[in-house]
Amino acid sequence: MARRGNRGVLLVVPSLILIFMFLVFPFFYSLYYSVHQTYFFTVGRFSGLSNFIEVLGNLENIKSLGRTLVLTFSSAAITLVLGILLALWVNKKTGITALVIQSIGLIPWVTSMVVGALLWRWIFIGDLGLFNYIVVLLGGTPISLLSNAKNAMMSLIYVVSWRTIGYAMVLLLAGLKAIPEELYEASEIDGATKLQSLTYITLPLLRTSLLVTAIVLTLSNFNNMTVPMVLTGGGPGRSTNVISMELYRQAFVYYDFGIASAMSSLVFFFNTALVLLYVRLVKWSV
Amino acid sequence: MRLRSKLIPVIEICLFLVLIIINATPIAWGVLSSLKQNKDILAFPPKIIGFTPTLEHYTRIISSGFFQSLLTSVFYSAACIVFGVLLSLFAAYGFDRYHFRFRNALFLLVVMGIPLSMGSGALLIPNYLYMASFGLTNRWYTLVLLYTTYNLPMAIWILKGALEAVPKEIDEAATIDGCTGLSILFRILLPLSKPAIAAASIFLFIGSWNEFIAASVMVDSPVLRPVQLTIYHYLGFFGREWGPLTAAASLAVVPILIAFAFLSRLLVSGLTQGSTKG
Repeated sequence: MARRGNRGVLLVVPSLILIFMFLVFPFFYSLYYSVHQTYFFTVGRFSGLSNFIEVLGNLENIKSLGRTLVLTFSSAAITLVLGILLALWVNKKTGITALVIQSIGLIPWVTSMVVGALLWRWIFIGDLGLFNYIVVLLGGTPISLLSNAKNAMMSLIYVVSWRTIGYAMVLLLAGLKAIPEELYEASEIDGATKLQSLTYITLPLLRTSLLVTAIVLTLSNFNNMTVPMVLTGGGPGRSTNVISMELYRQAFVYYDFGIASAMSSLVFFFNTALVLLYVRLVKWSV
Repeated sequence: MRLRSKLIPVIEICLFLVLIIINATPIAWGVLSSLKQNKDILAFPPKIIGFTPTLEHYTRIISSGFFQSLLTSVFYSAACIVFGVLLSLFAAYGFDRYHFRFRNALFLLVVMGIPLSMGSGALLIPNYLYMASFGLTNRWYTLVLLYTTYNLPMAIWILKGALEAVPKEIDEAATIDGCTGLSILFRILLPLSKPAIAAASIFLFIGSWNEFIAASVMVDSPVLRPVQLTIYHYLGFFGREWGPLTAAASLAVVPILIAFAFLSRLLVSGLTQGSTKG
């Protein structure tokens, strides 16, 4: 018995106002800003697409976009592969064992990005870090991780993946649990090997879960500015300066809000595509 | 075959240990470092045992205002939980038990909010610009509003799932007994969905306790700074002094780990419900 009448609206409106104000409306506001000339907080005259042209015409921005994509997708790929493997493993466990593994897996995800990145920075730090101590113990020569451009990027990819692997595992595990047991029983009767039931049953039926997880990871990595800010600060040089950091810098270091808004809008177009895909994939209904 | 069945548990235990080591080392190493004197922190090879423990870094950061930040974060999280649970409970109840115009479209907005809030970095600049123009930045409620909103879609989704599971006949029986609207929600549905409320709460707690980037932009006064922001400031302030830095990081992570230890089951169930319902 669902009630009729519009009284129900009153219940949902407060939440929706907040969601609209702080999650939806800002996009339009940044579009407005990005097509105007700005001077600090003052909005000047309409400038068409010139801010966008300036953003896209700057080689450094294109480079940082490239870095962002490398970070986003390599980290999402690593996370998905390891996440699936872990989920398949935990799926065989039950009760407290499964819960303990999931909980340990989620530790990086519940740890704040500031703390996580800070503590890894302390481990990776060149001259007295734990990492190089272990390298030396194993008979290697110390590696400079954060002060070498290529290694800094790899460290960043590592820390971002570290954060999300357990989270992906938990999401994918839920997808695995939703696959009916009978399918495996039937395939076993038909003489399918474990590998066959993985490739013909598990992976196809896990597709939606996988895609949803991939979207969530892509979104969160693409917009992640906390981990690069704390772990590498964008350095050495600009080697880990990702787009979200550049956008932050344009706004809050140079106070060029027109350029920053144009960048935000570009990032937001990317996000919107993923959000729409997410909404299509997730089964929602009221 | 016998060898294989003996080998598998060994591999599994190794896998389990690797998982623990990789996930817990940063925190364990951070806590260990925070208890060392400066000369031991700077020692190479690093000392894993055999140093004289000290609390000097903790007293130092507490005296330089870290306690204030902890209190501020406690306030933000508590406000966010209370506000968030109330709002999402109303919204979930409205969406699940009432019919009204545009219900689907409005619920779509909530569903979109889940991924949108994960990409909140891109929203930061416009949010800052227009909140600043209305004078909404650097207030005690600035971050409460934002943190509640960022975590609201997920909380609504979790609670809606819980309310769906309560048979509608219970409402009917209550109506016959004279309950109406909100009293059905508070007297009957709320007690029945306690686990979901706890799941939503821990979500709101983690989200608001751990947030950094919005805080770094929206608030400026030292009293309004949450822990994560203070730690970031320390990174510039203490520079290479890893004693105070690791002490601050340890203090910031402890409340989360405690909450998580008790409520991980609920967090796992909330997470899985929210994201892979299909």
